[in-house]
Amino acid sequence: MIQLQNVTVNYGNEWIALYQVSLCVNKGEFVFIVGPTGAGKSTLLKLLYREETATQGTVRVAGHDLNHMPSREVPLFRRRLGIVFQDFGLLPNKTVYENVAFALRVTGESSRTIRRKVPHVLEMVGLAHRPDAFPHQLSGGEQQRVAIARALVNDPPLLLADEPTGNLDPDTSLGIVQLLHHINVRGTTVIVATHDHTIVDRMQRRVVALERGRLVRDDQQGAYRPLLMLSEPMRS
Amino acid sequence: MRLSSLGFLLHEAWLNIRRNGLMSLATLGTVTVALTVLGASLWTIFRLSEYAQFQPRRFDRIDLFLLPDVSRERAETLRDQIAHLPGVARVRLIPREQAWADLQASEPLLTEALEENPLPDKLEVEVRDIAQIQAIAHNFRDQTAYPDVERVVDAGEAVRVMLGLARVVKVVGGSASAGLFIATLFLVYNTIRLTVFARRREIRTMQLVGATPGFIRLPLLLEGLFHGVVGALLASGILLLCAREVSRFVASLRSPLIGDVPSLLSPWHVPAVLVALGALIGLVGSYLAIRRFLRPI
Repeated sequence: MIQLQNVTVNYGNEWIALYQVSLCVNKGEFVFIVGPTGAGKSTLLKLLYREETATQGTVRVAGHDLNHMPSREVPLFRRRLGIVFQDFGLLPNKTVYENVAFALRVTGESSRTIRRKVPHVLEMVGLAHRPDAFPHQLSGGEQQRVAIARALVNDPPLLLADEPTGNLDPDTSLGIVQLLHHINVRGTTVIVATHDHTIVDRMQRRVVALERGRLVRDDQQGAYRPLLMLSEPMRS
Repeated sequence: MRLSSLGFLLHEAWLNIRRNGLMSLATLGTVTVALTVLGASLWTIFRLSEYAQFQPRRFDRIDLFLLPDVSRERAETLRDQIAHLPGVARVRLIPREQAWADLQASEPLLTEALEENPLPDKLEVEVRDIAQIQAIAHNFRDQTAYPDVERVVDAGEAVRVMLGLARVVKVVGGSASAGLFIATLFLVYNTIRLTVFARRREIRTMQLVGATPGFIRLPLLLEGLFHGVVGALLASGILLLCAREVSRFVASLRSPLIGDVPSLLSPWHVPAVLVALGALIGLVGSYLAIRRFLRPI
């Protein structure tokens, strides 16, 4: 599903966001990308939905070579992804229903399909009862559920979530991650960038750790910190 | 693009206008004020230019007063002779009896004081090109060529000044119109840019869910068009109302310079021109503003 080979991303001559990162994610996997702020998590995700391009190395997602993808093909490529952001990225002047329907509208889906798919996906994220609410009338957790519904409505094979629990309290965060897990169980590959160690430790899924742009760890059933460190007492 | 998509985009533009009520109102207000100022200026400059072009035409006549002893036959021969001169459009003979009757009708008190008609026969000469009036009048003053002409009256210097004034109005007015148009375009562009700037995050979200640039751009262009056209219609209404009042006031002035100067511009040209300008400014303003925030990501 995803192949990164020796990927480096430079911002100008000074700042190296990612350095020589190689990573392979298979179809149906659930992967946490972890690391402190500035480690390169968001840059890695931006490479995958082609908001950034690699300065060196190759990035392949679902068979597409993103470094050589013409700009006009990018919208079509993104329609096959689901993307979830920390700030939810909802359209503020659209209702819950319209926000989710928008992702189908851009693909040119018929009104009949939209009427069939949107209630179904809202049901799935537990928001079937609030289709006419505007984003500002929802809690943070509900807004994130709308964002996930919008990301899912096109049945994407790959879902990318950048700090999806960054603005949420621990209980709501757990609910969101369980929802992502449920989506993964249905067959969607899920990549979550986070620095929320509680959810990472609880889920016990594959963990890829970044530090200052370098891939420093890739554990199949890992925790936020290396298992070796977890056994040590916390240093202040 | 499918018809259903076009319908959606139109609906989308309308929803954006409605749901961004305050911003839409601010844009509409700015566009209306800007187009009212532009329209009023263009209309004033155009009318001033028409007045300036028309004024010299009021003086396109040379009056030739004949000597009292010139016979009527001789006067008619002279009239026919002058009518064939180059640059002369028309010549009319005003017999002294008719001139006296006209004077009696217009100035009864003055004519009562006079015992007999002191007026000579008169030839009214209309020239083809107002710029040539002085040269033609100069020829009539040649006593050798026109021994029967006692006095030549033409507007002379006044015509020259008015022709100069008309040229100044044309040049200054044209430059001012162009300047105002550019200023209005920038004002509207900046206002629309603010509305687009306020929605730059929405634009980014749309790009990330796979919307094509055209899909994002079209509703925003339609919004710009709506603001331009509706602002122009409101500005036209304001202008037509003001113009009616100004016309009444000007008519009440009874100035010799402000007669009934015919205009090429009917009141219906104002909304037509303003709506065309509004649509153009709205579309160009939106296009430039969107281009700024719709860079490929």
